[in-house]
Amino acid sequence: MKVFRDLSWFFKQEKKAYLTGIFMLFLVAILQLVPPRVIGIVADEIEASSITWGKLSVWISVLILAGMLMYILRYYWRIHIFGASVKLARILRTRLYEHFTKMSPHFYQRKRIGDLMAHATNDIQAIQQTAGSGVLTLVDSLLTGGFVIVAMAITISWKLTLIALLPMPIIALLTNWYGTTLHARFKKAQEAFSFLNDKTQESISGIKVIKTFGQEKEDIEDFKKLSNEVVQKNIAVAKIDSLYDPTISACVGISFILSIGFGAKYVLEGSMSIGDLIAFNTYLGLLIWPMLAFGWFFNIVERGRASYDRVYRLLNEKIDIVDREQTIDESPSGDIEISITNFQYPNHEKSILQDIHFTLKQGKTLGIVGKTGAGKTSLLKLLLREFEGYNGEIRIGGRDIKDYRLDALRKAFGYVPQDHFLFSATIKENIAFAKPNATDEEIYLAAKTADVHDDIQGFVDGYETIVGERGVSLSGGQKQRISIARAILLNPEILILDDSLSAVDAKTEESILTALKENRQGKTTIITAHRLSAIQHADLIIVLDDGKITQIGVHESLMQENGWYKEIYHQQQLEALVEHGG
Amino acid sequence: MDKITILNSQEQRQVFFRLLKYVKPHIKQIIIAFVLLSLVTIGEVSGPILIKIFIDDFVAPNNIVAGPIITLASLYLFILFTSAVVMYIQSLKFQEIALKIIQQLRIDVFSKVQTLGLRYFDKTPVGTIVSRVTNDTEAIKELFVSVLAIFIQSIFLFIGIFVAMFILDIKLAALCLLFLPILIWIIHMYRKLSSTSFSALRELIGQLNAKLNESLQGMSIIQVFRQEKRMRKEFNELNTKHYEAGIHNIKINGLLLRPAVDLVHIIAILIVLSFFGITSMESTIEIGVLYAFVNYISRFFEPVNQVMQQLTFFQQAVISAARVFKLLDEKELAPQQENRPVQISKGKIEFRNVTFSYDGNQKVLKNITFTANPGDTVALVGHTGSGKSSIINLLMRFYEFEKGEILIDGVSIKQYNMNELRQKMGLVLQDAFLFYGTIKDNIRLHNEELTDEDIIEAAEFVQANQFIEKLPDGYNQQVTERGSTFSSGQRQLLAFARTMVTNPKILILDEATANIDTETEEMIQQALAKMRKGRTTIAIAHRLSTIQDADLILVLHKGEIVERGNHQQLLAQKGLYYKMYLLQNGHSENIADVVQQEI
Repeated sequence: MKVFRDLSWFFKQEKKAYLTGIFMLFLVAILQLVPPRVIGIVADEIEASSITWGKLSVWISVLILAGMLMYILRYYWRIHIFGASVKLARILRTRLYEHFTKMSPHFYQRKRIGDLMAHATNDIQAIQQTAGSGVLTLVDSLLTGGFVIVAMAITISWKLTLIALLPMPIIALLTNWYGTTLHARFKKAQEAFSFLNDKTQESISGIKVIKTFGQEKEDIEDFKKLSNEVVQKNIAVAKIDSLYDPTISACVGISFILSIGFGAKYVLEGSMSIGDLIAFNTYLGLLIWPMLAFGWFFNIVERGRASYDRVYRLLNEKIDIVDREQTIDESPSGDIEISITNFQYPNHEKSILQDIHFTLKQGKTLGIVGKTGAGKTSLLKLLLREFEGYNGEIRIGGRDIKDYRLDALRKAFGYVPQDHFLFSATIKENIAFAKPNATDEEIYLAAKTADVHDDIQGFVDGYETIVGERGVSLSGGQKQRISIARAILLNPEILILDDSLSAVDAKTEESILTALKENRQGKTTIITAHRLSAIQHADLIIVLDDGKITQIGVHESLMQENGWYKEIYHQQQLEALVEHGG
Repeated sequence: MDKITILNSQEQRQVFFRLLKYVKPHIKQIIIAFVLLSLVTIGEVSGPILIKIFIDDFVAPNNIVAGPIITLASLYLFILFTSAVVMYIQSLKFQEIALKIIQQLRIDVFSKVQTLGLRYFDKTPVGTIVSRVTNDTEAIKELFVSVLAIFIQSIFLFIGIFVAMFILDIKLAALCLLFLPILIWIIHMYRKLSSTSFSALRELIGQLNAKLNESLQGMSIIQVFRQEKRMRKEFNELNTKHYEAGIHNIKINGLLLRPAVDLVHIIAILIVLSFFGITSMESTIEIGVLYAFVNYISRFFEPVNQVMQQLTFFQQAVISAARVFKLLDEKELAPQQENRPVQISKGKIEFRNVTFSYDGNQKVLKNITFTANPGDTVALVGHTGSGKSSIINLLMRFYEFEKGEILIDGVSIKQYNMNELRQKMGLVLQDAFLFYGTIKDNIRLHNEELTDEDIIEAAEFVQANQFIEKLPDGYNQQVTERGSTFSSGQRQLLAFARTMVTNPKILILDEATANIDTETEEMIQQALAKMRKGRTTIAIAHRLSTIQDADLILVLHKGEIVERGNHQQLLAQKGLYYKMYLLQNGHSENIADVVQQEI
């Protein structure tokens, strides 16, 4: 029940819907008592041969009226209660999404997307069930069950009611026990199924090995064995699952014979009419549903509670990058001064950056090179304020980047990430991602600068081509250039290319770099690269190794030094030769 | 590519009938289940008749005779318990049949997948194939277990109830048939409305999840480009649409599901009451019949509710089945063999003017010609994409080629039986793909003929025994997380052992590119030298140092052999091979010299 207390904010908010819905359920529960009663009365009239057209039409009208009213009420309580539960799902989903957009990369490093998805889908669904079916099963089983029992006891016979209800607790006890057993067996069946799933996944991933060793038949045999396991575990489930109907049918049957037997005795004694007996039996039929609903209720609530706890924990995750009390609203501009004595990722021992001190004049181009894991991307992440917690200071235009409002700070940047991520949208929408109202001319210009315009024109749908997971697949180079165009379109104060030219050939690289030079007159550009040709032209080049600056200068000066830069430069030139076939 | 979301009714029928074919092998069991179901139905409908007899013959006329009443009560209880037991057996039987049917379907799909060529796997993501084999068949299971079972049970009950009603009172039973059209109309309307609204809802759930998934993946882009607000807005729009679709669904369910069926229930009662009321004004009637009718009618409506709730699942199952059948009909098969009774005895390999393309456009191999004499080692070197792996792919018959010939011992490889090829040719893949199971299982794979001694011998041969024996459970150590707990060198040694245990005539090596620790590296080199002895070997080498003693080195570039010879000859040529060698082993001064000369 704790989950109901946890959800009380929502019940309060949707007070009207729930109260109206419950009131309607209340009316339905009462109206449900009408048909059996009418059947009983008419039966007595028939038995006594006292029925007339007049009486008959009155009772028929009562039935029609009750039926229509119930139909309407049943329709509306659904809209109120189930509707509210759907609303709860919407609210929680919105909250989660909003929360996700506020979390820093650190959060996404810790969490797996699959898990986050599961919270936003399965857990929210379970909570929705609690607020809908959970409320319904509770209210309905208490109201309907209560009213039916009261009606039987008061209007017909309390003694007979007690007798007829004798087998009912057995239903509740047995179905409860079935539920627990079923759950355990179901879990085993699920395990067998996921085992089969893993096996299939493994066989398909390792299809080459299987073919190499000519083991197709043997692998199928193995699959047969596992699938047989699945069948056996599911039959174990079916063995319990199939118990429900016979149990209910047998218990209800006993209940019926008890009520008929003892009822007949009362009829013969004259303390009850035959009509009452028939009505009583019909009431009995109405009790089956509340019995089952009560069992379901516990199940639903249990799952809802676990899910709510998980979602709640997620919503309470602290947002780690927040604005200071007093921030500047304007976007930064000016020289970039980096002075970092030490940085390590949260909960990591290893120092990622150490003693990084340099200044990049406004409008100049910086090249950062070094081995994988040398700290290139980490440095950019600090600049973008995706991470904090370093010792030192990063200043743009003479002010600490933490003094700017996060939104204003990021406005200064155009960023091309290493993993070129495109959204499932048209190419046009992807390029105009950060500036949705850009004109076609602006978009074309950005695409031309990124040397991807011709490629795009080559597609059947041109700029309207859908890309991303569900669209056409682009080559790595095309994706990279589209994401460059996306950043260029902003004409940002500071453009960052994080190893963004790795998938394009040397010729394209050169044409992009030339275009950028022209396009970015007077604006700051930062490029990290593996291929030195991408940063050869930079006004300042720093070589990082293991988080430290090992060389700093320009291409000409670095070629004079006998260091990593020169060595790699030659090596890459030889590689280029090999690539071209000598 | 593989997405089927909407089927027209004709396609639906086709798929459905094709599914029903899977029922055939179980026809005997199904007949038994049907007989049991008939018994249950008789039991269920006989209860009210007995009570009717009790009321009309004993209670109403105030005629209490102990003997007959006891008989009647015992009969009632007997039927009640028997039918409960039979009901249990019957329900279990149905589920068993359904599970077996799905198992067969699953095995069929999985077997089919095993016959497909690598081309199919290239173009289809692993997840999609796995979905077909497991999740889609699971959805079909629902069709058999819930939908069909409930459907058939309901039909039986329905017939049983009407038979009983006709026995009790022909006129009234006929009158009760009147509410059938209403019910059918409701079911029809519900099917029509829910199929669109339900699929709209599903579609929106899909979109919503896709959006969420994408946002989570691209969150850093969203944040850096400051599009949080816009994305939130877009997500909320979708969320609202989904909400509206949800409400719409609730409305349709509310209009046509339980509330509507319950209303029809009341109408049915109304018909029965009016009939009895009116008849009783003219003649006497048996009040027990009234009881029985009212009781039957209540029993009848519960299954109707259940059937209607299952209808939406039906559609889902049919769509899943359509996807499964599409895979079963897939034509992209593995290369076919002519299966002549020829055997590989010497292990001579010849490529004659082999030209090959994966997609039919871009040639990845052009006129490849070379010979590997029995016992020789031929090394393939070249840049990524030069065609080294393609040569192996063709030799292993992973892909079919059209132009040129590949001969083993002078016979085209297309003529051999596939088993012969697999037994005599041992391929060591770059990264040993480790399966779930023990180390021993992973060396043996499914070859039951191999003894534990064979396995240990093979492991010792390649020196894998040294690290295996250090494991807590030795050869019985469970491989976890696909073997990621082992170093790449250790995995490579396992791959060696796996191949050597089959004692192949021809050895094909795809050297690991990953960095291997120096300690294991040495063992690998020793093992390789031992393995190659007496076997024709085709090796892809990334590290040129490992193939210096090869009898023939082929240097590939863009699908062509541009240089050929042994190590010394190639170095002397000072061509591509020389440059590659320098790149890996040269000192920086040498490199600078070469670069300066060339530019």
